[in-house]
Amino acid sequence: MREEYRLKYICNRVLLLAAAVFLLLLLQAAAWLLRFLQGGTGLWQGLIHGAAAGLYGAVYWFWIIVPYRKGEKWISHFLDGYGIPDSREADSFLLTPYMKRQIEMAEKVLKAPGAMDFNKRQAQYLALQNQINPHFLYNTLESIRGEALLAGLNSVADMTEALAKFFRYTITKVENLVSVEEELDNCETYFRIQKYRFGDRLRLHVECDEEDREDIMNCRIPKLTLQPIMENSIIHGTELKVGTGNLKLQFERTDSRLIIRLSDDGVGMDEHTLARLNRKLAGEAQTASYQEDGRQGGIALVNVNNRIHLIFGEEYGLHVYSVPQKGTDVEISVPVVASERQLPNRGILS
Amino acid sequence: MREEIFRMERVTRIERGMVRLEDFNLQVYKGEIMGLLPVNAHGMTAFLNLLQTNLPIRDGYVYYGGGLVNSWKESGREANRISIIQAQSCLVEQMTVTDNIFVLRQGFRQRMIRPGILQSQLEPFLRDIGIDLAADCRVEKLSVFERVVVELLKAVILGYRLIVLNEISTLISSRELCKLHHIMRHYAKRGFSFLYVSPHFEELVQLCGRVAMFSHGRIQKVLRGAEMDEECLRGYVEEYDSMVRAHLESCGAESEKGAPVLTVDGLTCGSLNRLNLNFYAGECVVIQNMDNEVYKDLTGLLTGALRAETGCFRMEGNPVEISGNRNAAVILEQPTRTMLFPRMSYMDNLCMGLSWRMPGVWNSFRIQKSIRKEYGKLLGEDVFDMQLEELDEKQKYQLVYMRVLLQKPRIVFCIQPFKGADMSHRMLVWKLLEMMLNKKIAVVILALNLADAISLAERLVRIGSDGSMEEITRDHFGSLSGDAPWRYLYREKSVKTADGNVFP
Repeated sequence: MREEYRLKYICNRVLLLAAAVFLLLLLQAAAWLLRFLQGGTGLWQGLIHGAAAGLYGAVYWFWIIVPYRKGEKWISHFLDGYGIPDSREADSFLLTPYMKRQIEMAEKVLKAPGAMDFNKRQAQYLALQNQINPHFLYNTLESIRGEALLAGLNSVADMTEALAKFFRYTITKVENLVSVEEELDNCETYFRIQKYRFGDRLRLHVECDEEDREDIMNCRIPKLTLQPIMENSIIHGTELKVGTGNLKLQFERTDSRLIIRLSDDGVGMDEHTLARLNRKLAGEAQTASYQEDGRQGGIALVNVNNRIHLIFGEEYGLHVYSVPQKGTDVEISVPVVASERQLPNRGILS
Repeated sequence: MREEIFRMERVTRIERGMVRLEDFNLQVYKGEIMGLLPVNAHGMTAFLNLLQTNLPIRDGYVYYGGGLVNSWKESGREANRISIIQAQSCLVEQMTVTDNIFVLRQGFRQRMIRPGILQSQLEPFLRDIGIDLAADCRVEKLSVFERVVVELLKAVILGYRLIVLNEISTLISSRELCKLHHIMRHYAKRGFSFLYVSPHFEELVQLCGRVAMFSHGRIQKVLRGAEMDEECLRGYVEEYDSMVRAHLESCGAESEKGAPVLTVDGLTCGSLNRLNLNFYAGECVVIQNMDNEVYKDLTGLLTGALRAETGCFRMEGNPVEISGNRNAAVILEQPTRTMLFPRMSYMDNLCMGLSWRMPGVWNSFRIQKSIRKEYGKLLGEDVFDMQLEELDEKQKYQLVYMRVLLQKPRIVFCIQPFKGADMSHRMLVWKLLEMMLNKKIAVVILALNLADAISLAERLVRIGSDGSMEEITRDHFGSLSGDAPWRYLYREKSVKTADGNVFP
């Protein structure tokens, strides 16, 4: 017998007993009707027992089995790593008051504010890592020096200014929502810094629906959403490519969503890696972010995705498309939010 | 601001323990014709089923018309108002066009059906798209193109906002396809959205604003804007491209053909009018039917369903029938479904064509062992012990084509060999056909659209609806119309030939 059907589980015992009562009612109805057909009395008793069996079955099905199965699906979804469902949805299939408390406790641990803190800490850590990353500093300062030697003070000043601006934006108030315009500005600053390193080997194109430009630029998104993804695209995509690398940032608005797409024409990734990364982003992110080694690729994406899930809900987040040797697109989907006050769970940001 | 008509967000669907769709993301906007290119078709059926019905999903969300219609939490199993137009018709054949469109719909409450009124209601729609069609005609009398148009009109009239067309180019001729594209553009401008599934990027580039590449139940990439350039798209089929390129480069100068292996001698049947053709050993000829009727008649003649009114096929001067002839083989449309016998073993399926040369094959363990040894290297050792239903699509294709190779026919007729095949299977079929050509078997491909067949062909024979015939040799393939696949290779070839290098 399959494990889930064994009688050691209370649910199976309850089901067995219920089925036994249902059968008993049916048998009684059949017995009465048989007696009636043989010429005796019992038609009414038979009909009443039959109706009772039907009513009992219907009530049991809709009141017990349907909610129970829904609960089972809910729990298995979570256990299979498809994300943390909302505990409010569990109200229709709670077994005992203790189960309700248990679910609330699990949500408390996994969701706000601890998990957000964890993700914030990760974002801050990534920002700090950027500061102390010797390669980053080395490459940047080398570029500054080269420029100073070759061209004069103007470009040095420009570069130093860009670096300072970038660090200032990165380190302060990571938990805030910022406008798309601010995020784009920071991306351009970051790109300016990288341009000193890559020169003409790297290009950035920004595309935005002109008629919605103002709307889009005023939309609020979590701070440091775009820059880590851009960094990822440069490091894992275009840097490994021979020749010029193109980065394209596209902004698109639908009636309910803001879609930001960062595409590169770098080395891309194979189907298996892509599937694993999207799986992480779809559901296993919460557990992955606690366990993953930070050096492994994709941690920046997982971190950004987690923050979007926690702030806006699990329907939003990141999705990656990629073809080997052709490039990678990271698509960010967030709701159209013009102010933090529009967020149902804005407490998570504090 | 763009309006989303349909969206699948990270959908994972598992059927009988097998993941069909995984983290599947797709959105279609209002008034858009979106392309879907199946690089690998695993999960395509599940995707189409999920479009039509809100079946249970393991993870993700499905939105249609702005509302959530399916999610991992709740799947109502109700049908979505999405129409899928494909080989299998959803119309009732014995009923008229108007009955199919107006009467067979939810909410039709009239007890008395007045055909005149229904016809007058349909009339403006037909006029709008410039189609001349008898509204009181029974569906069974319609051509495939007319049937497709009726299904499309039905979707439009019923207010379905998303219409899916699945591999339509294998059902209708190039001319009809152009008309259909025109109709689609017309309705797209009016806010209807289309999802156009086709394995040929040449077709998608001309019609679609965006193209999603479908592979192993996921969307691998969505191409848009400048990425939709044909040159750019070619990069995604590099392996196939280099395979065809190598084949063309290996094709030598036209040598002496010798006597024809098969002659079509003044064949007349239905729309075919005094057809005269010769086929030579090791030569690939594509017969493109510009009209569906011609295609039906030719297929009927090859399979034995129809008999020629006048004229005949001749082998070495003697009149012959193709059906049942051991020196000729016919590979039907979608052979993995139509040409295999599931109750027979793999070996029996494979040796079926061999029995005329070696009658003892069924009882001779020695012959079977030597076949296993010889073909094991090519097909894999394990397949011989597998049940037919355990085979994957690739193994089934190999089985069909190897059976034909074992038969050693002098000529093979392939009816739309690439129909229903995704990119990987198209490459496989292409290689198998090339293998036949290398064995000096004449290969005749019957096609409605040129697709991949043209890359193998030495001659293209076009038969018009009036029975007229036009023959184009490989040297002139470069001047075929713009949507002809692989045309760029032949253009390159003619340029290089003019320069006097690479191609002889």
